[in-house]
This record gives sequence, structure tokens and C-alpha cells, in this order.
Amino acid sequence: MKTLFAAGLLILAIGYTAYGVTTLTLLTSSGRPAAGFFPLVVGMLLILSCAINLWGDWRAWLTERRTGIAPLHQAEPEAEAKADTLGVHAHAIDGGPEFGRDVLIVFGYICGFVAVMTFVGALLAMVLFMLVFLFTFNRGHPLGNLVYSLALPACLYGLFKVLLNASLPIGPLGL
Amino acid sequence: MLGEIASNLSLGLSVAASPEGFLFLVLGAFLGMIVGLFPGFGPAAGIAVLIPMTFGLQPTIAIIMLAGIYYGSMYGGTITSILINTPGESATVASTIDGYPLAQKGRAGPALVMQAIASFFGGTVGVILITALAPSLADFAASFGPSEYFLIIAVGLLMLTTMMGDNKFKGFISALIGFAIGTVGVDVMSGQQRYTFGSPELIGGVYFVAVAIGLFGIGELLHCIFNGQHRQPAKRLRISFRDKEFWPSRQDYYESRFTFWRGSAIGFIAGVLPGSGATLGSIIGYSVEKKVAKDPEKFGKGEMRGLVAPEAANNAASAGAMVPLLSLGIPGSGATAVLLGAFLMWGLQPGPLLIVNDPEFVWGLIASMYLGNMILIAMSIFAIPLFVKFLDIPYVNVVPVIVLLCVVGAFAINASIVETWILVGSGLLGFAMKRYGYSPAATVLALVLGSMAEETFLQTYIISQGTMSLFWERPVSLVLSVILLTIVLVPAALAVMRPRKAQAAGEAR
Repeated sequence: MKTLFAAGLLILAIGYTAYGVTTLTLLTSSGRPAAGFFPLVVGMLLILSCAINLWGDWRAWLTERRTGIAPLHQAEPEAEAKADTLGVHAHAIDGGPEFGRDVLIVFGYICGFVAVMTFVGALLAMVLFMLVFLFTFNRGHPLGNLVYSLALPACLYGLFKVLLNASLPIGPLGL
Repeated sequence: MLGEIASNLSLGLSVAASPEGFLFLVLGAFLGMIVGLFPGFGPAAGIAVLIPMTFGLQPTIAIIMLAGIYYGSMYGGTITSILINTPGESATVASTIDGYPLAQKGRAGPALVMQAIASFFGGTVGVILITALAPSLADFAASFGPSEYFLIIAVGLLMLTTMMGDNKFKGFISALIGFAIGTVGVDVMSGQQRYTFGSPELIGGVYFVAVAIGLFGIGELLHCIFNGQHRQPAKRLRISFRDKEFWPSRQDYYESRFTFWRGSAIGFIAGVLPGSGATLGSIIGYSVEKKVAKDPEKFGKGEMRGLVAPEAANNAASAGAMVPLLSLGIPGSGATAVLLGAFLMWGLQPGPLLIVNDPEFVWGLIASMYLGNMILIAMSIFAIPLFVKFLDIPYVNVVPVIVLLCVVGAFAINASIVETWILVGSGLLGFAMKRYGYSPAATVLALVLGSMAEETFLQTYIISQGTMSLFWERPVSLVLSVILLTIVLVPAALAVMRPRKAQAAGEAR
């Protein structure tokens, strides 16, 4: 996945630069830098650095495949800092199980929340998100989940809509 | 000069100590303590997520509250470092080394009180130094031209990325991503639209708040979920300040008397330098303290000086980081970058002239930091049992609070669903960046400074007629160019030399 992410960044960098070169003016008629100059500099640096980065990640991935030894995951900066101080390897601190599936589920719920917010209104969307989230990850407390799913959105809605007078999406119920 | 400082501070106190200012200062400090308590959720995320809650406030009051969250999180982050060996945020990592063993020895109370005193000491020394240095630095910076500004931004970003150890190259890419996002919108020089894809909502550019909330808020949240924090049971801890063993002994104070000063000085310097910040300051503070100690073998086994040093350092560093922000308008870390973004959001013009044009704002903020540290030491000692109770809340119940605040907050800024989707996309990007060793802080920093970097770069190019000679013709630029080249070339040279040395050693054997 790390290599795929690096490859994705390289593709985006190429797309960014190509789009800039084709749609933006690089130099004015007097030869001065125009709107496309800075994006071109950034884009070229991005392509170069992303290509080197992808090469490094690819080689690391090949080594992992050959030796069969894969690190648990990228050590967190905090863990690295602590490991430096203690003189131990970062993965000795930052290890443990991973919950990639849960990340996908929560991210899906967040996307769903944003997608329905404009149709059902902010308050109802918040309540729905909380119900779905809590009944997925905190199944043992149905009553608590229900109360929490109603109370927190009501408080936040009151805070943003009433106290801060912010404009939030309004649903069919007028909320 | 002292008279001028006194009159400026009294002006600042009139703002910060007003009923509204004081109320939001207390609220900011309280929220900062809570932000610091939850592992994986740092001050940058806390400030970004809570920016929308400052709508409707006066700019100075809003920034006072946000700054309270920033330095309040330094106090709160240590509570979990000491009690459960889990730093609330990266700047309190070094505090776990001796803080947790102290708690294991049954000295959690004295450790918590000493960390509060050290934090207060470091924070206050830092604010005194801001008071003395920020105006002088702003005066000096008033003569800076575009080349100096561009080089300061470049040095800051490079320092931030080189602090990332093995991941410094990924840090560099992270900064470039920020610059690339910053180019979206109308070009200020020519008026031409860039990367807007015909969307009217992108003409004004990608709004930094949505990106910052996404990268720090949603990104860190997803990372915590990835590490299984949402499946961990709540930590039930009880602590009471009525216990006799709660208070530090006379020996604790006596042994740490020089540590307070050393930690504060080291932390402040680390904070002022762009990119290094509170995390590095606290680690250097700890290492130096261990080196100068006559009994270094005690460190790591519950030594009070090993807790006091990083605590004084990280709080002094958080104050130190305000110096370049207030005097140059250039942040050195993710959290101060978000604060700078908030300055811009409120229509303030950061830079050397900020202190001249908006003295009430700058001095109000500085005065609020004096008051904030006083409030925080009181909260840290007398409200510890209350804050410990927050740890009873399982993370699974914290997740929805963060998601709702992020999504609703991002929408409420400009009532824009496009920006809300930008938040969601940034969240996913932030998670992947954190997971694979990139730096969301560098991205936000580059995004906030992107337009300034572009403008100053082009101005330098035009003034020097394409030769870029301003980078070495002006004395300050020359010094900055040398620093920049040193940052780039020394690690590269070391990287080339290291394998050769190893090879030579292998052959000699």
C-alpha cells in the first residue's frame, strides 16, 4: 500500500504539472514569470521527488518480498522520537494490531454523513451518523447509544445554529 | 524600553483581562487541557477543529482562545504520559520516560504537581522572552525584503522536514503538496485562474481551514482508529489532591532548582527555530539534563529532574514558537501554522507590521499567555481529579464528537458542501500521510505560506532580473542562503560519506 500511495502521488504530480503547462501562461510577453511559472517549478520538483520516493519504496518492497520480513507498519514520529531517546528500535514501541477495516467503515460513514447532509439536514444527518457509528462499534450499550445520539447532535446544532448563527444544511423538517 | 514594554503589557492586559477575554481564555485553556489528554489528538488538530467555534467572536478574543488551546494542550498531554505511559501529544513523549516510573513508584501526585510547576515556569519564562524579543525582532524584520522572506519560509520548511529522521524526503514531498494545493485559485499577479476546473467555489482558492481540519482532525482520528484506540476500554484512574502523598517533597524542589532554568532556555531556543518545536525541545531538554547530572543512572527510573526538564522545555518551546509567528508572520510548526491561518481568517495581516498596526491584538495575546499560564497551573493542580475523569470516557464515544465538529464546522465556515468534501478528502490524505511517514504539518505550513512564498519568489526573480542575485547580495539573505545550503548539503554529504566509511572500516578489518 505504501508503494501504491507513492505511485498515486507521482501520478497526481504528473497530472498537476501537465494540466498547469497546458492551461496556464508560463511567461508574459515581456519574458516575466506568469501564473504558470510557480506551479511549473512546484510540479517539476514534485515529479522528481515523487519519482525518487517511489523508487525507494519500490526497492524496500522488493527487499521485503525477497527476505519475507515486513515491518509491522510505519513507526509514528512520536514512537521514533521516544525510541531515539531510549536507544531502542521504534517498532519495539509502536507495534500492535491494526484495524484497517474499521478505518474503511468509519471513512464510509463519514462520506455517507456528508452526502446525506444536504438532503436530510444537518441535525438529522448528525443523529443518523451517530446511531450508525455507535451501533457498529459500541453495540453493548443500546440505550446509552440512543440517548447520546440524540443529545450530542442537539447540543452541537444549538451551538452552531443558535449561538453562533452559522448556516447549516436544512432538511425537509426545517432543521 | 522597560517603560514601553510595561505600557504595552498594560494595554494587552486591558484586552485579555476583560470579562469576555478572560472567559474565553479560561475556556481555551480548559479545552486545551482536554485536547492534550487524548492521545493522538494534538494541538494542531484541536485548534483546527475548534476554529469554527470562534465565529462571532472578536478576532483578538478568538485568537486568545485558540492560543489557550495551543499551550493548554502542553499541560494536559503530560497527565496521560505520567499516569498511563501514553503521551497525550508528541511534545510530552519525553515526559513518559521518568514520569511513568514515578507513578509506578507511587509518586503520581508529586509528578503531576511538579510537571504543572515546570510547565508554568517554562511557559512564563517563554512569555517573558517573547515580550522582550518579539518587538525587537519585528523592528529588525521591518527591513526584510522578498528574498529574506522567501529564504525564511524555505529554511523553516526544510528544518521541519529534516527533523523527520529517515522520513525527511517524504517531509519535503509533503511541503510540495501544500504548495501545490496553495496554487489553486486566482493568481494574484495576473488574475488568471489556476486549477479551478470551472468551479466558482475554487476561485478563491482551497480554503486552508477545511484542509487543516481534514489533515489534522479526520486524519489523526482515522489513524487512532487504525491503531485500535476505539476498541480499547477506558482507563479508570483515581487521584485525589487531598492525599498526603499528592504534594512534592522539599527535596524534589531543591534537586530541580536549576533544571527549571535549563529546560526553559533549551525549550525556548528550540521553539524559536522554525521546524524544531516543542517535541524536539523536550527531548533535547531531557538529554541535556541527563548529561549534566552527576547521577545519570537514576534517569529513566523515576527521576524528578527527568520529568521537570522536558516539561519546562516543551512549554517554553510553545511560547518560543510564537516569536517568529508574531514578529515575522512565519509559523514554525503545524499548530502555529493553523494559528496563522486563523490570523488570516480574521483579516489580520501577519508580519513585522502586525505589532505596529494591531498592538491591541499582539499585546492582548501576549498578556493572555501570562494569565493563561496562571490559570493552567491552578487547573493542573486543583482540577487534576476532574481531568483524570475525562480518561474514563471510552475513545469510541469521543470519535463522533470529533467527526461532528469537523464536518459541521467545515460546512459552517462558508456554507459550502465543496469545502466539506475537501475536508473529507484531506482527512483520507492525512491518514495516509501519517501512516506512510509523510508530514501533514509540513503540508499545512506550506499551504498557509504558499502564496507568500510564490509572491516573494517572483518578486526576487523580477527585482534581480532573473538572476536571483538578491539571495547572496543582501547580507541577511546571504546568511539565510548559507543556512539553507547547509541544511541541504550536509545531510547529503554525510549520506554519501557513511557507506564509504563503512566500506573502509570493513576493508581494514
